[in-house]
Amino acid sequence: MSVDAEVILRTESVSKVFGGFTALRDISVDFRRGAITSIIGPNGAGKSTYFNLLSGAFAPTSGRVFFEGRDVTGLPQHRFAHMGVAKSFQITNVFPQLTTHENIRVAAQALQTCFDMWRPRAARRDLIDAADALLHLVGLADRRDRLAGTLAHGEQRALEIGMALASRPRLLLLDEPTAGMSPEETRSMMDLIVKLASERTVILVEHKMKLVMGISNRLLVLHHGELLAEGTPDDIRHNEDVKRVYLGKREH
Amino acid sequence: MTDLADNSAKRLAPSGFLEFARRHRTLLAALFLLVFPLLVPFKALAVNILIYGLYALGFNLLFGYLGLLSFGHSALFGAGAYICGILMVHVGMPWWAGVLLGCVAGAAMAAIIGTFAIRTSGIYFAMVTLALSQCIYYVFYQATGLTGGENGLRGVNVEMISIFGLRLNFVDPLTRYYVVAAFVIVALWILSRILASPFGAVIESVRENEARARASGYDVRRVRLVTFILSGAFCGLAGALQAIHLSIVPIELMHYETSGLVVMMALLGGMGTFFGPFVGAAVFLLLENLVSLWTVHWQLFVGAVFVVCVLFFPRGIWGSILHAMEKK
Amino acid sequence: MAGLSLELIGLQLFAGLALGSVYVLLAIGLSLIFGMLTVVNFAHGAFFMLGAYVGLWLLSIGVNFWICLVAVPLIVGGFGLAVERTLIRPLYGRGIDYPLLLTFGLSYIIVELVRIVFGKSGYPVATPDALQGAVDIGVGYFPLYRLFVMGVTALILVGLWLFLERTRYGLIIRAGARDAQIVRVLGVNISRVWLMVFGLGCGIAGLGGLLAAPLQGVIPEMGGPILAEAFVVTVVGGMGSLMGAVLAGLLVGVVVSMTSLFAPEMAKVAIFALMAVVLLIRPQGFFGRAGLMS
Repeated sequence: MSVDAEVILRTESVSKVFGGFTALRDISVDFRRGAITSIIGPNGAGKSTYFNLLSGAFAPTSGRVFFEGRDVTGLPQHRFAHMGVAKSFQITNVFPQLTTHENIRVAAQALQTCFDMWRPRAARRDLIDAADALLHLVGLADRRDRLAGTLAHGEQRALEIGMALASRPRLLLLDEPTAGMSPEETRSMMDLIVKLASERTVILVEHKMKLVMGISNRLLVLHHGELLAEGTPDDIRHNEDVKRVYLGKREH
Repeated sequence: MTDLADNSAKRLAPSGFLEFARRHRTLLAALFLLVFPLLVPFKALAVNILIYGLYALGFNLLFGYLGLLSFGHSALFGAGAYICGILMVHVGMPWWAGVLLGCVAGAAMAAIIGTFAIRTSGIYFAMVTLALSQCIYYVFYQATGLTGGENGLRGVNVEMISIFGLRLNFVDPLTRYYVVAAFVIVALWILSRILASPFGAVIESVRENEARARASGYDVRRVRLVTFILSGAFCGLAGALQAIHLSIVPIELMHYETSGLVVMMALLGGMGTFFGPFVGAAVFLLLENLVSLWTVHWQLFVGAVFVVCVLFFPRGIWGSILHAMEKK
Repeated sequence: MAGLSLELIGLQLFAGLALGSVYVLLAIGLSLIFGMLTVVNFAHGAFFMLGAYVGLWLLSIGVNFWICLVAVPLIVGGFGLAVERTLIRPLYGRGIDYPLLLTFGLSYIIVELVRIVFGKSGYPVATPDALQGAVDIGVGYFPLYRLFVMGVTALILVGLWLFLERTRYGLIIRAGARDAQIVRVLGVNISRVWLMVFGLGCGIAGLGGLLAAPLQGVIPEMGGPILAEAFVVTVVGGMGSLMGAVLAGLLVGVVVSMTSLFAPEMAKVAIFALMAVVLLIRPQGFFGRAGLMS
């Protein structure tokens, strides 16, 4: 296949079947480099399943996934970070008994060394500094030596984004980054996402459509496991199908 | 597993003495082990404590730090003992070569068991390791020509050893203690370095959150296998030392009760703490020594330690001491 | 191989199924308990041994074997109830390894208590008079008692199936195995269901011990090896699957008995080789759900 520099991630008619249940049917999408693309849809639309296919948590039942022109279908999860794809989880997912700083340091270490078992950790000054820089970026510098498990919910989400960034990804995948956040926390998270998107491609899954309308370049709408619509926020806002799904029975 | 091991890992920077002790833990342990035989009624018991302490430390690398519960460590301990014994008795190797290759054998056995067991995790892992170690037990039990079968492998005798021209009488209990202690101290130092290394951080992160470690780019399965093999090397070394200490390798070393014993020692001392398992081994063997004076049913005591620790005392002895000191 | 006739192989196949029946009785208990409570009962072998010893004791004081068949599972099951209520219940929600460690320690206690009461050496157990002798099963004469063991196992399975499929209690158990939360929301006292399931599993293990006693005698350590073998069955069949436990139990029995026909010294090792192969090809077992693995 031809490598299109404009397309960072592509799915070719991917489907996912769990048991007998088709969670996702035949979805083909090109994700543009440098854009913020949001995947939206009502509950049970297949957003999380699609997200997991994109991030390599599991392989599609059929169809293929390409990252930067390379077929990555079925590659083990840990290889994705090495390719330049990082993700944050929908449910907060940190190392609770490690300090905030160590959380990011371990994440940053993943691309450098795994089986180095002789030198002390402190010898890798570069990783320690990189972790400190990321703590600043996500606004957790003053939480440096706290155990991650003791942070507030919003702080843990920010920490997770810091961990995702530690692998210097070209593509950042965020699964409902504002889930369970207060309006204030949500606003600062949105600001952070916009800031991050200036240097890398961002794909995020979001339940609340309003939240992402303002910041997204592109939107995908999933419904019942199928791609209902795709386009700019304006396209989506005026799309009859989307209106029907989101506004639901009011039109009847 | 997380809460079992909660008294481990990184904490808020502890102050003063505790931090000093943590940084120089190998040195302090070495100093302690130098005077230790003076505190113990019998020197042979002190040697036993060294060996089982090392066995428990090796086990705890997997359980306390990585969070995988193995009920098959007798196969690693036993492999070290048997290979050391077989090489000395049947091949005529010197004792030190036997001990080093026993260490390698423990690692190799871990690689074999690990290849299958690592494919599972969580609750399966404990079952699979127990089952595979039972299989290894049968194999060694039936290879009578090499292992002596039911009667054990006899004649693993070490009398005089010479180190750099220095001739030492290994039959003398105190000399034997210090020779074994030298191995244990080096093993402690290596283990301590591994835990403080970048890989040590990876081990902890896999225990803390497997999915996150994987998403960060770690090959969790390989991390587990490598840690299992390292654990096998330490346990194999302990087994080899046990072989030259006992002058015989009894088949019981391979029995699954030997696996249970090390789990219990780690539990009693405090898993996930560096010295806890060693403390657990020492306390248990000292108590066993007392208990067995007035009853042959000391297994009752083993079971009771399990039940009491799980229900009421999950931090273990050393873990509780550390916890109390950190709170101050 | 000249001495190996088709008849001999047929008989050995039946012997394997009889042995497998004992495995099935252990494995369904393990699976049932795991499916409901997500507890792996490492004392299951000890409950099996206890069943054999309680049977031995009852027979020695003159209790009829047929009464033992009912009394032993009730006594061992009752003991299981007490264990769940006092020792395991406090551990729910504290991590999956705690009950495992506890039951493992408990098995030491049970074994040592049996040693104290009955002594360290084993005893042979006579086959009940009515079940002695052999019957012609078409390929030759086969011990009646082994047929009886297979029959009782089949009966237990049918009974268990009817209980799970046809009773309200069974419905709750099946629902609870899927999602304990839902059952709780429906107002069912889930901890009572867990209690009953644990007792049921232990009782069936005790019955297994009683049935195995005339085949192999009794000895305090008899629970250890069979626990390892029951784990093999569970891994091969798939954790938490009753169907898996039954089929894998029979398969493992047949593998043991067939291997002992051709290479007796390999019989014990063969089943672990079987497990190793299953782990390589299908780590979650024949009927296991992949999600349970992590």
